[in-house]
Amino acid sequence: MRGKAWALVALALAMAMLVPAVAGAEDKVVKIGALYPMTGRAGLYGLDSVAAAEMAIAEINGKGGVKGYKLELISTDSQAKPDYSVQVAKRYITSDNVHFLFGVVSSGVGLALTEVSKQYKKIFIGTDHASTQLTVDKLQPYYFRVSNNTFQSMAAGALDLKERQKAKPWQTIAYIGPDYAYGHDQWNELKYNLDRFGVKYKVVGEYWPKLAAPDYTAFITSIIKDKPDILISGLWGGDTVAFIKQALPYGLFQKTLFCSPDAGGNYEVMSATGDELALGLVLSARHHNNWPGTEANKKFVSDFFKKTGRYPSYSAEGAYAGVYAIAQAVEKVGNPDDAEALVKAFEGMKLKLPEDPDGFTSYIDPLTHQIVQVQAIGETVANKDFPPATRMLGNWKIYKAQEILPPPEYLKEHGSDYLKGRMK
Amino acid sequence: MEAASDKKALLFWGLFLVVFALVPISRNDYYLAMANRILVWGMFAVAFNMLFGVTGMLSFGQALFFGLGGYGVGLMVKYLGQAWFLAGLGAGVAAAAVVAYLLGYLVIRVSGVFFTILTLAFGQLAWQITFRWYRVTGGDDGIQGLVPTGILGDHIVYYYFCLILVACSVWFLKRLSASPQGLILRCVRQNPARVRFLGRRVRRNQRRIYVISSVFAALAGGLMAGVDNSIHTNMLNWTTSGEVILMSVLGGIHQFFGPFIGAAVIKVIEDVVGARTEYWSLIIGLVMMTMVLLFPRGLVGEWVSFKARMRSGGARKEGV
Amino acid sequence: MDSSFLLVQFVSGLTMATLLFLVASGLTLIFGVGGVFNFAHGSFYMLGAYLAYTVVSLAHGNFWVAVLAAGLGAGVAGMIAEAAFLRRIYGRSEEGGFQILLTYSLILIIDDLVKLVWGTEYKSLSRPAGFTGSLVIGDVTLPSYNLAIVGVGLLVVVVAWWVLSRTRPGRIARATALDRETMGVLGVNVPLTMTLVFGIATALGGITGALAAPLRSVTPGAGIEVIIDSLIVVVLGGMGNFWGAWLAALLLGEVNAIAVATVPEWASLFSYLVMVVTLIFKPEGLFAPRQVRKV
Repeated sequence: MRGKAWALVALALAMAMLVPAVAGAEDKVVKIGALYPMTGRAGLYGLDSVAAAEMAIAEINGKGGVKGYKLELISTDSQAKPDYSVQVAKRYITSDNVHFLFGVVSSGVGLALTEVSKQYKKIFIGTDHASTQLTVDKLQPYYFRVSNNTFQSMAAGALDLKERQKAKPWQTIAYIGPDYAYGHDQWNELKYNLDRFGVKYKVVGEYWPKLAAPDYTAFITSIIKDKPDILISGLWGGDTVAFIKQALPYGLFQKTLFCSPDAGGNYEVMSATGDELALGLVLSARHHNNWPGTEANKKFVSDFFKKTGRYPSYSAEGAYAGVYAIAQAVEKVGNPDDAEALVKAFEGMKLKLPEDPDGFTSYIDPLTHQIVQVQAIGETVANKDFPPATRMLGNWKIYKAQEILPPPEYLKEHGSDYLKGRMK
Repeated sequence: MEAASDKKALLFWGLFLVVFALVPISRNDYYLAMANRILVWGMFAVAFNMLFGVTGMLSFGQALFFGLGGYGVGLMVKYLGQAWFLAGLGAGVAAAAVVAYLLGYLVIRVSGVFFTILTLAFGQLAWQITFRWYRVTGGDDGIQGLVPTGILGDHIVYYYFCLILVACSVWFLKRLSASPQGLILRCVRQNPARVRFLGRRVRRNQRRIYVISSVFAALAGGLMAGVDNSIHTNMLNWTTSGEVILMSVLGGIHQFFGPFIGAAVIKVIEDVVGARTEYWSLIIGLVMMTMVLLFPRGLVGEWVSFKARMRSGGARKEGV
Repeated sequence: MDSSFLLVQFVSGLTMATLLFLVASGLTLIFGVGGVFNFAHGSFYMLGAYLAYTVVSLAHGNFWVAVLAAGLGAGVAGMIAEAAFLRRIYGRSEEGGFQILLTYSLILIIDDLVKLVWGTEYKSLSRPAGFTGSLVIGDVTLPSYNLAIVGVGLLVVVVAWWVLSRTRPGRIARATALDRETMGVLGVNVPLTMTLVFGIATALGGITGALAAPLRSVTPGAGIEVIIDSLIVVVLGGMGNFWGAWLAALLLGEVNAIAVATVPEWASLFSYLVMVVTLIFKPEGLFAPRQVRKV
C-alpha cells in the first residue's frame, strides 16, 4: 500500500509540474497557434518548422515587432491526427484567442483544419502540406499557403522532362509512389502536366508500395524488368531513403533516370543516404539549403544551424515564410483582429523570401491564395558543405513561377464554389 | 457493485445530466467540443467494456466499427449531400450491425489472445482499405464539411442531441448489464463451461454482445463526425482501439461507469499534457504503466474498494 | 517473363521474407514460450537500429560488432522490462488486456526516450565493407548484402532449431511453455527462464533492427511500422509456432514479389488477402499454434 501512496504522490507532482506553463497575457500580441507533428517520422519536419518560426519571430520582435505588437507562437504536437488537431485548433481559437492558425505537415490534418478555419473565420496559414486540394478543390476565404503544392512541383517536373526529351530523347516512363492520396495526386498531376506541355510518353509501369513500406526490393527488380527511361518517384522522407539504398546495388540508377520533383530533394534524404546517394538523380524540394546562393538564403541556413545545430529540412523555410507573411499583413492592416482586412492584405502580397533568387519576389496569388514561387530542380552532385550529407543538388534548372501554376481550365474543373465564384 | 441503491443511482444520473447539460453556458466552443468528445468517447468506452470487462472478450478491433459509423456519415454526405447526415448516421450504425454479425461468426470461433489478435487483424484490414481506396473514401485526406443541416448545424443544438443519445445509450447498456442477460454475460467470462451446463449457448451470447457493443461504437463514430465536422482514416487505426482499451482499464473494467470516467480522464490528460510538452507520449506512457502495475482496478475500482475498506476497517477486499 | 527475372524476383521476395521472419521470430518466440504478446517488440527493433548506428558512427565500430552490440543492448533492455514490469502482471485475470496495455505503454516510453537520446533527424548506416556490391551472373544481379541477410536468417533458423530441440535450456523453455507450474515444482527457476527467453526475443528484434538499418531509414516511429507486419506473420504461422512463422514469412515475401511483378496496382493488398483467406478457413493460422493457457 505504501508503494501505491508514493506512486500517487509522484503522479500528482508530475501533473503539478505541468500546470504553470502558461505565460501571462501581454497587452499587445499577435498570437499564432501552430500545429506540427513532433513525433514519428514526420517529427523532424515539425521540429524544424517550429524552430524556424521561432527564429523569424525573434528577428521580428528584435526589431520592435509590428505596429506595436509582439509576435507570439504557441505550438502543439498535432500527433498527425486530424481529430486531435481539430480539438487543439478549437482551443486555440476560443480559449487561447489566437489570431492565426498555422502550420501542419499532413494534408489530411490541413484539410480538417481548413474546415475549422472556415467555420470560425480564423485565418489559417499553411506552411508545409502539399495537397493541391487546399488551394483549389477545398479553397475557402481564410486559407493561405506559403509553400508550393504538388501541382507546382509536378508542373516543374514535367517541364524538366520536356527539356530532357529535347536533349536526349526518352519514350518510356514508370512511376512509384506511396499508395495514398499524396502518391496518386502527384502521378495524376504529372500526367496532366506532361499532356498540357505536349510531351509524348509511354507508361510502362505503375507501382504503389504502401506508405512507410520497409522493403522495396521486389519493386526495384520489377522496375528494372520494365526498362523505363524515366522513373518518377512520389515517395518522401524515409521511404525515399529506403528505396535509394535498396536500389543502389541493383544498378537501377545506371539503367533509368530517377526523378523525384516534389520531395526527393529534401535535405534529410541527402543526410540519411550519405555516399549511397547516386550521382545524377533529378530531385527537388520546396526549399534548398544551397540554392539560391543569395545572402538571404545563406543567412537563413546558417542562422538555423546556429540555433539548432543541424541543417534545416525544406519545411523550415515554409514556417519562416509564414511568420513573415503574417507580420507583413498585420503591418498593412495595423491590427491582427480584422480578419476580413487581413485576407485582403494577404491576397496579392509580395514576400521576399530566402528561397527567392535575385530578381524574383514570391507573391500570394489573389485568386487561389497559393504562394507563387520559382521552382529549382537539381541533380545530385558531390558536395560536403552541409554535413552529414555528402551529396547535395547542383546543375540547377529553374522554372518560372507563372508556368507551373494550375491553368484556369484546371481551376474551373476542380475549384471549390468559392473559387469558381471569384473566377467569374 | 450492482447493488447500489436506487436513490444513489438517481442522484448519480441527475448529477451526470446536470453537469453536462450546463456546459454550453460557458459559451466557449472549446469546452463544448471537449464535453462532447468526452460524452461520445465515454459511450464508446462503456459499450466496449460490455465486451471486455463484462463478457471477457478483449477486442482490439473496435476501431473498425467506430470508423464504420464515421464513414457512414462521411460517405453519405460526400456523395448525396449534407441533408443526408442523419441518414448516414443510421446507415453507419446499420452497417456496423451487419458487419459485426457476419464478422462475429469469423472471430468468435477462437478465444483469449487469438480473439484479440484476430479482431486486430480485421481492424487493420479495414483501415488499409479505407486508406488506400482513396477514390471513394478520400483516403488519408479524409472527408470534410460534415455539418448536419437544419438546427442540428448549431454547435449547441448538436451537443444536446449527442447528450440525449449518449444518455439513452448508456442507460440502455446499464439496464442490459443489470439484466439476466448481463448476468449470463458475466458467467461467460468467469465460467463458460458452466454456462453450457446451464443450457445457454456461449458463442451465441458472445456474438450478441459483440453486435451490441459494435453498434454503439458505430454510433459514437458517427456522432464524432459531427463534432469535428470531418473524419479521417485514423478513426480505423489500431490506436483508436488501443485508446478505448486504455480508457476502460484506467477507469476500471469491473465498474459500469469506470470506462466513462476513464474516457473523460484520458481526453483531458491528452489535451492538458499535449498543450504543455512535446513529450506527451512519455507522460501518457508512464501514467498507463503506473495504472496497470499499481492500480489494476482502475480509478473507479480503486475508489470503490477504498470506500469499502474505510467502512469495514480494511478487512474487506474485493476480488479483481 | 524469363527465368533470370524470376530468379531475381524470387531473391527479392526472399530478402523481404527473411527480414519479416527475423522481426517476427522474437515476437513468436516469447508468445510461444511465455504466452506474452509483446506489442513493444517493434520498439526493440528500433532500439537495435539506433544502437548499431551509435556504435558504427560514433565509436567507428565494425558493422558486425555493432549488430552484436545492438542485440546485446536490446536483449538487456528486454530483460529489464520483463523483470521490472511484465513479471508483475503474470497470472492476473484479464492478463491479455494488461499485457497489451503494458507493452503499449513501453512503445510510448521507448519512442520518446529514443527521441530524447537521438533526436528526430534521420540516421544513416552504410552497408558493411565487403557487402556493398552485387553478385552478377549474366542478366542476374543479386546484391551481396541481401544474400548475407538471407544467410543470417537461415542461420537463426538453424541455431534456434538446435537450441530449442537439442539443448537442455531449450527443452526447459519448451517444457515451461507447456506447463509452468510443473516446471516450478521440478525445481526449474521459471521466472529466470522467462526473463532469459524475453531477453533472447528482444535481442532478436534488436539484431534485426541493426541488420535492416543499412537497407532502410533509421527514424523515430520505425517500431510501430514493423509491428503490424510481424503480427501478420505470427498470426499466419500459428501464434507461437517458430517454424510456422518462418514459412508464413516466406509465403508472404514470395506472394508479394510475384504480385508486384504481375499485378502491381493491387500488390499492396495481397498480404492482407492471404491473411484474411487463411483466417477464414483456419482461424488459428496455417500451422498449429501452441496451446495458450486461458487468458
